[in-house]
Amino acid sequence: MKVIIKRWHAVAQWRWDTGVSSDDGDEEGDVCGICRVPFEGCCPSCKVPGDDCPLIWGECTHVFHMHCLLRWIGTAASNQQCPMDRRPWVTAERKVKNLVPGAGAAAPSAS
Amino acid sequence: MATDALRAQVASKWQESFTRLNQNEPGLVGLLNFSQAWNIARECVRPRSLEEPDALTQYEKPTFQASFELLNKCRRLPILLETFLEDMRKRFPVIKAEMDQYTLDYQRTSDTIHILNLVLRLLQWYQKWIPRPELGATLQSAFVLSFQTHIFSSLSPTFVRGFKELCASTLPPVDSDTILPEPNPKMWEAFEILGLLDRYENIIASVAYEHIETYVLTTCAGHWSESMLVHLRKWMADKIVPWMMLMYGRTVTTTNDAQSMLQNVGSRFDFHMAKTLCDLRTQEIFDIIIDFPDSTGALQDLRDCLHRVDQRAALVHALRKANQKRLLHPGADTRLILTQYVATIKCLRIIDPPGVLLFKVADPIRRYLRERPDTIRCIVSNLVGDEDSGDSLVDESEPIQPLQQSELEEYTDPNWEPEPVDAGPDFRANKPSDVISTLISIYDSKDLFVKELQVLLAQRLLAITDDNSEKVEKERRNIEILKIRFGEAALQVCEVMLKDMTDSKRINGHIQSHKESVIHPTIISKHFWPILEAGEISMPGQFQTFQDEYAKEFSAFKPDKKLRWLPHMGTVHLELQLEDRAIEADVPPLEAAFIELFSEQDVWTMDQLITKTGLSVDRKAALKALLTWVDLGAIKEVSEHTFKLLEVAEASTAGRELRAATTSVVELPSALSIQQQQAEQMKLYWKFIEGMLTNLGSLPIDRIQSMLRLAQGYDQTVEQLGAFMEAARSEGLVITRDGMWRLNPK
Amino acid sequence: MASISSRRLAKELMEIKNDGCPVGINLVKADDFSTWWFTIQVMGESLYKNEQFTLQFRFDPQYPISSPAVQFVVTDGKEAPVHPHVYSNGHICASILGNEWSPVLSVIAVCVTLQSMLASCKEKQRPIDNDRYIKHAPENPKKTRFHYDDDT
Repeated sequence: MKVIIKRWHAVAQWRWDTGVSSDDGDEEGDVCGICRVPFEGCCPSCKVPGDDCPLIWGECTHVFHMHCLLRWIGTAASNQQCPMDRRPWVTAERKVKNLVPGAGAAAPSAS
Repeated sequence: MATDALRAQVASKWQESFTRLNQNEPGLVGLLNFSQAWNIARECVRPRSLEEPDALTQYEKPTFQASFELLNKCRRLPILLETFLEDMRKRFPVIKAEMDQYTLDYQRTSDTIHILNLVLRLLQWYQKWIPRPELGATLQSAFVLSFQTHIFSSLSPTFVRGFKELCASTLPPVDSDTILPEPNPKMWEAFEILGLLDRYENIIASVAYEHIETYVLTTCAGHWSESMLVHLRKWMADKIVPWMMLMYGRTVTTTNDAQSMLQNVGSRFDFHMAKTLCDLRTQEIFDIIIDFPDSTGALQDLRDCLHRVDQRAALVHALRKANQKRLLHPGADTRLILTQYVATIKCLRIIDPPGVLLFKVADPIRRYLRERPDTIRCIVSNLVGDEDSGDSLVDESEPIQPLQQSELEEYTDPNWEPEPVDAGPDFRANKPSDVISTLISIYDSKDLFVKELQVLLAQRLLAITDDNSEKVEKERRNIEILKIRFGEAALQVCEVMLKDMTDSKRINGHIQSHKESVIHPTIISKHFWPILEAGEISMPGQFQTFQDEYAKEFSAFKPDKKLRWLPHMGTVHLELQLEDRAIEADVPPLEAAFIELFSEQDVWTMDQLITKTGLSVDRKAALKALLTWVDLGAIKEVSEHTFKLLEVAEASTAGRELRAATTSVVELPSALSIQQQQAEQMKLYWKFIEGMLTNLGSLPIDRIQSMLRLAQGYDQTVEQLGAFMEAARSEGLVITRDGMWRLNPK
Repeated sequence: MASISSRRLAKELMEIKNDGCPVGINLVKADDFSTWWFTIQVMGESLYKNEQFTLQFRFDPQYPISSPAVQFVVTDGKEAPVHPHVYSNGHICASILGNEWSPVLSVIAVCVTLQSMLASCKEKQRPIDNDRYIKHAPENPKKTRFHYDDDT
């Protein structure tokens, strides 16, 4: 017998490839340290997840919702440091090239 | 020992009487004249038998007038009156005997003609005996009083009954439009003359009341579509008022008198009519609500009647009781309760716009609905226009508006009105809110609805297997409408779900153009979809390959993202190419995974298959998946839980295979096959039902349901039972009539 | 519209309600997303044994991007702990509340830090400039530019 698949309507979830957790179970997943919302959710100022509310990777390997991080970096108090390790924030080029050109020097978006 | 003085006194008295009687006539002439006048006068007023000629024929008018004058002069009229009344008393037994005879005849035949004859006969006597008006009012009124006293003391309860019946027979018949029976003015005249009208006023009124009641009940019961009040008032004016005029209007001469009489008596009758109608509609209210909006007429009548008759408390009581008995029980479908609740809202708003009645009636319904587990789902599926949810609870015409929260009283509201007097302390003068707001306010929070809405939307979106953007658009429009009700923010999640649908389509388009694949996934955003039923299947063989290839393409397109498959969800359209035939089917993933394994190896046990697909597969689901292929003739069970591929069709399955060739066994979000499963379960219980109906004849569905509940393992809802019975009926096993089920006696 | 702070605080509150607070810290009141109160005790051997203090957190809508305003409550008979970094008006000189604040910190993290600040105290005394400071101190401690001089 030969089984020929004509059409397969499947269902899948998309995940950010944070490079940290490999294909795990159905856990909550990683959250953004700033807003505490899962990466696959969206930051407090967004309504739609995914490409509309992308992540930002630091060279320090820390990941945040881009909007959350930019808000933080935009404040004087941040000293442009990563909230996790207080090292100067440098956006990793690898992941974000398609998403946010030059996010590392982004203007503050916080009021 | 008569003294001289005494003797003298007697003598003078006698002389005085004599002088009075003798009238100062010479000798005894005066006395003789008196004697003659006395005789004539007595003869004139003597109670005669009916056959005797009247006194008038005996004497000329001047003659008896002269006689009476003479008696009057001699102050002998009182004596005459006394004698007359005494004569009457002596003769009355004759009349009494006649009355008894008539009464007896009536009792024997129940024919009111005897009562009428009795009355007319009494009238004859009356007219025979009544002193002539020329003889003065005193005499006449004394006669009337005495005659009536004699009559009344002789009338038996039987007569009263007959009299009532006689009165009733003069009313227009209720059941047809035939004209009034020929009015008999003579009868009413007789009633009046004999004093029966006054004496039996209550009875006559009760005749009219009962008549009105009968008429209202026969003409209005079950007739709800149009207002009957107008018709009833017209009937009263056409039929009852003329009758009233016969009775009460005889003494009326001017139109003014007639008006005030009608106003007085008429308004009492009108009140009675309104009360009867009100009572009737109160009794019928539950069914009137069921019939809404076809029962608008009845509701308007009820509203008008309630203005006239204060029966609001009775209405509330009746409706609450009916709801308790007929609606708020386990046998009633939640959808039905909701429909009836919505109808109740609409109906009571017609009857009582301020909403006091509704508030009192709605409370138990709302409390009951709150306890039902599927209430929210019912409301929500109705909101989104689910085909299965029956009639829409919401009128298309009703404007969509934001949910109204019950708010505190607005003190500056210029349209404020005091609350109605029978409003309880916890009554909220809710601004007439729309039906959906009212339904949703059953719960304290609208969050539950939003959650349910998500679940429902998710099910419906995931059921869209092809690139059917039209269906997605339909859901989008739905959500847009719901946003107006629930607010933009609450439905944000649904927005993301819809966006996932369009994104999926776009991404798939891109990937397919890059590298064609049989997989067309719906890619969802994890935290924005309701938690989907868990289930892990590791897809074997080519399925795995397709998954991996697609995931790779996806990550190439979206370098920072990856896919995580939910393999237990979705549908596979596949074709099995066997030696002698091809089988095409739409199946769930587990079925697909199993048959893929059969392409590697002909014989599998169920446990082996489960192990191969990741161990987390439920045995029941596995068996079901295998049975799907057995049904399609692709495999057969060779020993318990061991299955073998049929490369060549077996004889018994050959016919089947044709039919099954393009069968779809896909579960539309797991609803269809559950129904089938339930049908299976019901078959087990058919024996119970059959026995029940054999022993008990016919039963309503909720009785059957409650008896089945006693059977072990029975967990079907009454609707499921209903569907089963319906199926049994179409197979000719049972018949149903007026909601009662019985075995088909053939 | 819910502000950034309310969504984040809702999550923190949920966690506190689900998992409870660390030992010695108790949530007193959190009825809204603008002011919360905790009690704080130092466990084990310390200069503050058997003392209990009340901490007040005030959040602005930019929390956690901007730090919360944290101070000890000194009204209603409550007192601030006597500590070289705690002024008698309840203001606290601690770097994590100022230039070392990070949005990945949380309310509970602040509580724990302050708890250990007290626990490690070697001598109960007020800051040297206490009298001068409280005379001119702003109502909100965030308006003060503290000079963080040691290892808190």
